[in-house]
Amino acid sequence: MNPTAARVLRKLPLAIVWLAVVWPFALWLLCRSDPELAVRTLLAAKRIGTQTGLGLLAVTLVLCLLYPPAPAGIRLLWSRMLLAVTSDRAPLTRAIAELEHFESAARHLEVGRLALVRNQVPLAEHHLVRAIELDDSIANAHHQLGLLRFRLTRYQEAAVSLLTALRLDPDHAFGDTLLHAGRCAFLLGDTATATRLLRDHERRHGGSRKSHLWLAETLQASGETTAATAALRYAAEPSKQRLTAEENWFRAKARAKLWGRRGGA
Amino acid sequence: MTDLRQQIDDIPVTLVILVGCITMAMLTDPFSPTSQQLREWGGLSPYLAANGEPWRLLSSGFLHGGLVHIAFNMSALMSLGPALERALGSLRFLLLYTVSLLGGSIVVCLSTPVDQPVVGASGALFGLLGALVAMNMAAGRHMLSFLDYEGPRRLLGMIGIYLLLGFLLPFISNEAHIGGLLAGFFVTLLWIRPVRTLTSLRPWRVAFAALLASLLLASIYPPVRSDTLWAASFQTTDLRRQNALRRAAAMSYFRRADVTAADVEAFYQVFILGKEPGSEPTIDPTREPVGPAPKRPK
Repeated sequence: MNPTAARVLRKLPLAIVWLAVVWPFALWLLCRSDPELAVRTLLAAKRIGTQTGLGLLAVTLVLCLLYPPAPAGIRLLWSRMLLAVTSDRAPLTRAIAELEHFESAARHLEVGRLALVRNQVPLAEHHLVRAIELDDSIANAHHQLGLLRFRLTRYQEAAVSLLTALRLDPDHAFGDTLLHAGRCAFLLGDTATATRLLRDHERRHGGSRKSHLWLAETLQASGETTAATAALRYAAEPSKQRLTAEENWFRAKARAKLWGRRGGA
Repeated sequence: MTDLRQQIDDIPVTLVILVGCITMAMLTDPFSPTSQQLREWGGLSPYLAANGEPWRLLSSGFLHGGLVHIAFNMSALMSLGPALERALGSLRFLLLYTVSLLGGSIVVCLSTPVDQPVVGASGALFGLLGALVAMNMAAGRHMLSFLDYEGPRRLLGMIGIYLLLGFLLPFISNEAHIGGLLAGFFVTLLWIRPVRTLTSLRPWRVAFAALLASLLLASIYPPVRSDTLWAASFQTTDLRRQNALRRAAAMSYFRRADVTAADVEAFYQVFILGKEPGSEPTIDPTREPVGPAPKRPK
C-alpha cells in the first residue's frame, strides 16, 4: 500500500473520534444562526451515513462476486488486522529492555526486525539504521532495512540496501532479498536487471505466487509475452493446500491478469 | 497527595455505593416506586437533564424500579465490585464507576426519546464488566490472548447474553448498558490499567477525554433536540426566529425536513401537551413532556 495512504488510514480512527468531538459543537453553532439548517444538516448526515454504509456494502459484495482479487484482498486485510492484535508484544519489549542494558548492532537488529514484524515502521527504521551504523557488515540488517524501505515505496534506497545485503552474503538464506531487489529494479525501470534477479530467485528458491506474478510483470514489460503467460499460469494455479492470505492475494491477481489476456486459469 | 490517596483507598467504595442505593430505595419505595417518586428523587429524564438538572445523570444510578431490580443490581455489584476495588484501589474504582455511570447516562440522553425516564445502576455495572475485559486485554501477551482462557471467554459470553436480553426486553434500557460498557472499557484501557504499547497513548487519551466532555455537554445542552428547540422558541421575541425554532423542533421530532404548519401544530399537541391533535392547547413551554412509565436498566 502507498505509505501516504497507509499513514492516512492509520490516523483515520483517531480522526473519527475527533469528528465526533467537534460534531455537537458544529451543530450548536449552526443552530444559533439557523436552527432549521442545523436539523437539516443532522438529518442529511444521518441519511448520507446510512446510504454510504449500505452503498459500500453493496459495492463490496458485487466486487467479491465479480472480481477475484476483491475477496482475496479482504482476506489479506483481515489477516493483517488480526496479526496486528495477536502478534506477541513480549519479544519486542524484551529486546528493547535488553538494548537499554547494552547497545550492540545485533540487539538493534533484533529490535528492528521484531518492530517490522509488528508493523511499527518508524521504530524499526530507527533501530535498523543504528544497527548498520554500529556494524555495516551484517547482511541481515541491510536486508531488513531494504524490506522496510520497499514497504515505504522508497525503491532507490531499498535497492541499495538489498544489493548491499546480496554483496555481503551472496549465499544468503533469505530469498526475499533477491525477490525484492528484482522488484525494485523493475519499479525503477531497469527490466533487464529485474529479469536477471527474479530468474535467479526462481532458480535458487523455487519461487512463490508472488515471485511468479512479479516475474510475469517483468517479462511482459521486456516483451517476453509467452514466458510471462507461463509465469502467470504458474502463479494462478489452484492449490490443494490452503494458501496463506498473501499468496492467495497474488494468486487472485494473477488470475485476473490471465483473464485479461483471455488465457483462463 | 499520596496520603490523601491512601486515605481514600481505605474507604470501601463498593459498600458505600451499596448503602447509597439501598438508602435511596428506602426513601422512594423499595417494592414498587411510582414514576413520580423516581422523577422527584433524581431519575434520569433527558428533558430534565437538559433543563437545569444535570445531576440526574449521576443520581439516576442510585435509584431502582423495584425490589427485583435493586436485588439483581446489588448482587451484581457485590460480586464484581469488591474484587475490582481490591485490584484497582478505591480511588480508581470510584473513577471507573462514576465515568461508567456517566457514560451510560450520556448515551441514554443522546439516543432515548426525551420522554423516557431511566433509573438503575446497571450502566455503571456494565462499566465494571467493560473494565474486566480491558484488564484482561492489557494483561496478556497480545490483545486477544485472553481468549485462550475459559474465564474471560465466559465473561464475554455473559456480556453478550445481557446485551441480547436488553434488546429483547422492552423495559430495559440497553443504551445505558452499551454506554456504560464502552466508558468502562476505554477508561480502563487508556487510564486505569493502560495497555502496554510502544507508541504513546496520549493522543487517544486526549481524544477520549474530549469526546466524553463533548458528549456530556451535548447531553446537558442538546444542540438540535426537539424539546430544547421548542423551549428556546419561547425565549425569543423575534417572530421569525421563533417560527424557525418551532419548525426545527418539529423537523427534529418527525425526523424529516419537509414539515408543514400542521406538523408543527401536531408536534405541539402530541409532544408538549400530550393531547390528541385538535384538542384545546394551553401554552406551558416549561412543562415536562408526557411519557410512559420509567424505563429501567436491569
